[in-house]
Amino acid sequence: MSKQNRHQNHVIPGNQPGSHIPYFIVHNSYLITIFFLLSWAWASWWMGDVLRIAYERSFFATDVTLMHGLWQQSFGWLWFVGRALLTLYRWPLLGGLLVAVLLAAGAGLLGYCLRLSWRWRWVQFLPAAAWMFWTAHEGISLYYMHDAGRILIAPLLIAVISGLWAVVAKLTRRPAPAPGNSASGKVEWGGRRFPFALLFYSLFLLLLFIAPSLYLTHRHPYLRPLTRMEVQLLHHDYEGMSRTAHAHAELSYRQMAGFYAIALARTGHLADQLFDIKFDFEDIKGKSYFGTPNRCLDYHVVDCNYHAGLVRSALHYAILNLTSDGPSLHTLKYLTKIALIEGDWELARKYLRILGKAPFEGDFVRKYQPMVGHSELLKADAELSAVISSMPPVHVLENMYPKPCFLGYYAGQRFLGSKESQTWGAVACLYSKRMNDFLRFAQQYAGTMPPRSIAEGLVTQVSKYPELLKMFPQLNMEVNRYSLFLQEAEAYMQDPKGGSQALFQKYQGYYPYYYFFGNLPSKEQQEEQVQQEFNAGVN
Amino acid sequence: MICFVAVAIALLSACSGRPTSLPATFTEVADSACIYPDYRDVTIPPNIAPLNFMVVDDAADAFVADLGGLVCGAGSDGKMDIDTAAWRSLLTAQRGKDIEVRVYARRGQGWVRHPAFRLSVAEEPIDSFLSYRLIEPGYELYRQLGLYQRNLTNFTQTTIYENNRSYDNDENHCVNCHNYQNYDTERMLFHVRAAHGGTVVTNGREAHKIAIKHDSILAAGVYPSWHPTQPLVAFSTNKTGQVFHLLYPEKIEVLDTESDLILYDAERNQVSNILRSTDALETFPCWTPDGTRLYYCSAKMPELEGENTEALITSRFDSLLYDIYSMPFDLATRTFGEPRLEVDASSQGMSCSVPRISPDGHYLLYTYGRYGQFHIWHKSADLWVKPLSNDLAPYPLTAANSPDADSYHSWSSNGRWIVFSSRRDDGNFTRPYIAYFDRQGQARRAFLLPQRDPEYNQLLLKSFNVPELTRSAVRVTIEELNHVVRHTEAQVAAYK
Repeated sequence: MSKQNRHQNHVIPGNQPGSHIPYFIVHNSYLITIFFLLSWAWASWWMGDVLRIAYERSFFATDVTLMHGLWQQSFGWLWFVGRALLTLYRWPLLGGLLVAVLLAAGAGLLGYCLRLSWRWRWVQFLPAAAWMFWTAHEGISLYYMHDAGRILIAPLLIAVISGLWAVVAKLTRRPAPAPGNSASGKVEWGGRRFPFALLFYSLFLLLLFIAPSLYLTHRHPYLRPLTRMEVQLLHHDYEGMSRTAHAHAELSYRQMAGFYAIALARTGHLADQLFDIKFDFEDIKGKSYFGTPNRCLDYHVVDCNYHAGLVRSALHYAILNLTSDGPSLHTLKYLTKIALIEGDWELARKYLRILGKAPFEGDFVRKYQPMVGHSELLKADAELSAVISSMPPVHVLENMYPKPCFLGYYAGQRFLGSKESQTWGAVACLYSKRMNDFLRFAQQYAGTMPPRSIAEGLVTQVSKYPELLKMFPQLNMEVNRYSLFLQEAEAYMQDPKGGSQALFQKYQGYYPYYYFFGNLPSKEQQEEQVQQEFNAGVN
Repeated sequence: MICFVAVAIALLSACSGRPTSLPATFTEVADSACIYPDYRDVTIPPNIAPLNFMVVDDAADAFVADLGGLVCGAGSDGKMDIDTAAWRSLLTAQRGKDIEVRVYARRGQGWVRHPAFRLSVAEEPIDSFLSYRLIEPGYELYRQLGLYQRNLTNFTQTTIYENNRSYDNDENHCVNCHNYQNYDTERMLFHVRAAHGGTVVTNGREAHKIAIKHDSILAAGVYPSWHPTQPLVAFSTNKTGQVFHLLYPEKIEVLDTESDLILYDAERNQVSNILRSTDALETFPCWTPDGTRLYYCSAKMPELEGENTEALITSRFDSLLYDIYSMPFDLATRTFGEPRLEVDASSQGMSCSVPRISPDGHYLLYTYGRYGQFHIWHKSADLWVKPLSNDLAPYPLTAANSPDADSYHSWSSNGRWIVFSSRRDDGNFTRPYIAYFDRQGQARRAFLLPQRDPEYNQLLLKSFNVPELTRSAVRVTIEELNHVVRHTEAQVAAYK
């Protein structure tokens, strides 16, 4: 660069006579502003539920005793900082704002440090793009079996390192050239003028956000709907959970099915809408602590056991989570509610005290603190009273039932408890196709019009037990439809997988379809051994 | 920068509102101060660490405590951090006497003074070290689980051994049942289960790993008891399972479907059966201080009709009732004599567990509960004592007991202190409680092991397991134990 050019280059182009381009555009701030807004939208809307749930699966407090376990780990201090940042995802808009600020600051400072010309300015966005692709690639492993404190460390480091670099650059470098501007002060890129560059970068930035979003949808299609349902569960929005499940009815993941069942139980539709979604159960692509593929089978066990009234089984798995992952808001909140239901007041106080140390959990503490020692207040709470009414009627041992307990217990329970628990039992039998046990539970509906799924389940047994038509006269209306279904289904009886695909649209939600073509495990799943659980020490 | 930090700290200290002197004027109130841990009217060793406590009073913003002239202040959090040197001087001066403690609280209308309570300082010290396991009350996974020892004269806790800090299925291992020979740390052992399995045995600063397995014995050694003078360990060998109640006052049952007693010779690495039976479940062996008798628990095996013994026993968990027996031991021939019934609980429809003989041999301390042997999960479990030097009937240590589970007890080497695990705080997390055992065979009110931060126990999400007192710190290093556990193969004990 000639001495003359250098002199011309550090004149601010936007201020030059004859320049048609505003100052903020010529300087990186235009791109950075666009990038910031897109980042905010991406991090708060597209990824908002995912990172909100990551926050729930994390725990942050400044208390030494509570964070001791984290500090002891390799890079524990770094995850501590990451968890602190993640707490802003208590409100995804705010968390997204933080992410957007970090990513935009990192990109802008990197651009400044590298003195990039217009042609090369896309380089400054690469670290942010890499991070977004990483989050999309990790999916549920962002927080499941991994420390959620990792998630926001990269944006933080990008911003901090770029910032430090910029400070050094500012102190040491000579006046910077105005990158990408011709000697005439016009922005040029590849011999073309500003509009082309603007168009290119607008498209580039859009692509920058669309690509990881598509990758996430392709690699982890369950993640956004699942976390949406989890957030809706946090807000007791059971209708919303149902809507989310219906909107993604063909996404067949057992975790979604579990949350859908919770929503239906709470809205009273468990016995007539459960089979509206597909149950073929593809595997979630997660990773275990040590990096090997993991199907995340136990991801929803605490939620489902708890909402099915099996609070002890929920306690069992919550404590396992506490052991393997350390405390998380998700675990501590369930432990609190279980302690309240059990009448373990001091224990509930302990968990509330711990939750009170987390920065933004005051609402939860204020809601449940008054219930300590006041069991009558539990019955006034819709969620807790529903759980209490579903609890087992008599003493039973968890180990006598197959896992997970919310299915194993209800499919195999010997004692008819409350109406809620009988409904769980009937539906669990329908789900597991244990029709003899189902008939036992279905007797409660004799002489009445059973809920849709119950009636459709009964009709599959009419050929075996014709007396069902006497017990349930209303089934006569179902018999014709069932006959038509069988005629159509006959072609697929030797090819259940094919039938599953071909008949779903037409028979979505129809139990006989599920009975013959739904919930068919893959050969790999059948052969896969259930992970051994160690039982080597007691305390 | 340093100046800024110093000024900031000074300002923060000033803002904390921690008073440093007793109020000149105050109003007497009738209600006792609500303090945690509850140290009111307990007897304490003259060498114990400061009993830091927390005053809970939402209406107050500052507190002062007068501990027999030692003044300590607290801000709105109510946490009293007692000066260690002053505390030590106080205990030295008050040894064998009482300390009167008065708590003042600053409320809206001024200072109030609560009724005084008393700390009795015993003449006899407690052994300086307490070792325990810290573990979540969970049952199948292990992470950040370890054996630790606490210097009781201060707040220092050191790690004896700790497993993996991040969860790793390949490294998932449990450590348990640490045990010492006669309050000394020269010889100790603990088990490693799951990955790296075996039993680690130490001799001074040396350690090695053994495996007790042979066709002639039921299973590996479980609950240990070192012979007081010889390199011998009596173990129970148990097939243990856990079941979880879905609706029951207790949450968990830990029960044996088979169990026997075995003797391990640590010098020769040999193992032999002591009792091998199919009609009884024997467990929790314990030597007398002179090593001439072995105490243990035994329950009659219920008559089972069916093939699945494990499921059948499990379903009858509340019908397993354990009594305490003892057998004479001949050191010369290393043989055991006929069993003698020591505590007959089953005839009263009750069950007892974990026999421990006092160092003077005069008392048998055990837990007494409604059924079973794993009483730490039973709310009915209480500490009981049977005098061995006269015919007096067994009796409960009422002052030390609580409505919740009290179990896993051990004696101090001078026999004046017992330490035990209790779930009395919250029903879920066990905490080590210490009680004075007087010369009349009665225990005084128990107190919680003091911590520097009195809130520690309310925040800790782990249980203290198997508290064991020793006179000195464990000698073998954590590095040596890490090496032995993770990088050496267990030497299989020969069967004799």
